[in-house]
Amino acid sequence: MRQYGRKTGRRLLMALFWVMVWQFAAVTIDNDIIMAGPWDTARALGRLIPTGEFWRSIAMSFRKISLGFGAAFAAGLGLGSGGYCFPLLGELLEPVMALLKSVPVASFVILALIWAGSANLSVLVAFLVVLPVIYVNTVAGLKSTDRKLLEMAKVFSMTPWRRIRYIYIPALVPYLKSGCQIALGMSWKSGVAAEVIGVPDHSVGEKLYMAKIYLNTADVLAWTFVIILVSALFEWAALRLLSCLAPGGGADESGNS
Amino acid sequence: MSLEIRDLNKSFDRLKVLDGVSLTFEDGGVYCLMSPSGSGKTTLFRILLGLEQADSGKITGAEGKRFGVVFQEDRLCEAYTPLENVLMTADKAFTRKKAREELCRLLPEESVDRPVFTLSGGMKRRTAICRALLAPCDVFLMDEPFTGLDEDTRLEVIRYIKEKTEGRTVILSTHQEEDVEALGARLVRFG
Repeated sequence: MRQYGRKTGRRLLMALFWVMVWQFAAVTIDNDIIMAGPWDTARALGRLIPTGEFWRSIAMSFRKISLGFGAAFAAGLGLGSGGYCFPLLGELLEPVMALLKSVPVASFVILALIWAGSANLSVLVAFLVVLPVIYVNTVAGLKSTDRKLLEMAKVFSMTPWRRIRYIYIPALVPYLKSGCQIALGMSWKSGVAAEVIGVPDHSVGEKLYMAKIYLNTADVLAWTFVIILVSALFEWAALRLLSCLAPGGGADESGNS
Repeated sequence: MSLEIRDLNKSFDRLKVLDGVSLTFEDGGVYCLMSPSGSGKTTLFRILLGLEQADSGKITGAEGKRFGVVFQEDRLCEAYTPLENVLMTADKAFTRKKAREELCRLLPEESVDRPVFTLSGGMKRRTAICRALLAPCDVFLMDEPFTGLDEDTRLEVIRYIKEKTEGRTVILSTHQEEDVEALGARLVRFG
């Protein structure tokens, strides 16, 4: 406990050090358009937080990005399971997923603007960015399933549901967690980037864009801080939820296989 | 219907593991297979379970039979408790209370609700034995089930096996002649 407290204290001191470096840089440059300091950013945040529009923008961006993420998670899990069970489907999907992984986010945004318009832009972009990550991790997780346990399940005639619950899910969860850690961050980065380009009403991206137009660097940094915070909270909640699916949080403890 | 194996052959690349093995296991009989290490006992079990294809030979009497198996390795779901490991292969009608009672006959009570990866090798072995004995089955196949058990525990486990398998066929591989007598089994040498 004491060690934990010491570690937290050290981290806080380190964070404080970098805030001071930031403040020093802002004072040295002395131009709040080029570099707003931590105090200016905190003031901008203090000004934004009490407004209804601040919360409305966060709620809307959160709703759309998490919708895109959730849909991609479900589709990636379903297609990945399908690809694992039916190798032909896997072969068919593989080039699509490889393509989705290599297409730049900017291209997605432009295509999504043409296909879906700006209102649902972040849903589609988050979906396209997250889908291949979850798909690849689902296939890899299912392929990592212990063959010896599957033989045991066959010999004991375990029902499909029991096989999924006791053998497949524990094998899958560590891969899904690692995939989600990458995909959650990516969904927020790409989702907000899409909003900055598409400028949908009442979104975080729109606020970032407006701050840029008015050369309000303190607001840009304040919104950036908010995006990081919301993304981290989203990641924490999603990983907690995934951990509940497998005993021991899906950590790989198999020693006999 | 007895389990009959006729002229069974199996090779892995150039290595001949089973060379014309013929054995008969009568219904309800208890058999101890003894043969030197590497002579194909595990391969024979795998063929009986349908996990491996024989190159030639015939097995009759295995169709439709349900097997309760103790593998050479424990093959337990390590993140789950012994109780969950037993319940995942047991009949749906087999209650949690009953499973706990049975496990407590072979394991210390406190270990029944601990994840398997925290248990000792001997405890894992006893869990694997319990799982096989409590699963719905007609024939028990046990591949060196007493590995890692001390003398007293081994005798306790043998008593439990005799009680739970009564009237059903047991085929068990071992390297210890004392097991044959303790189980009241027929000795089968091959290889």
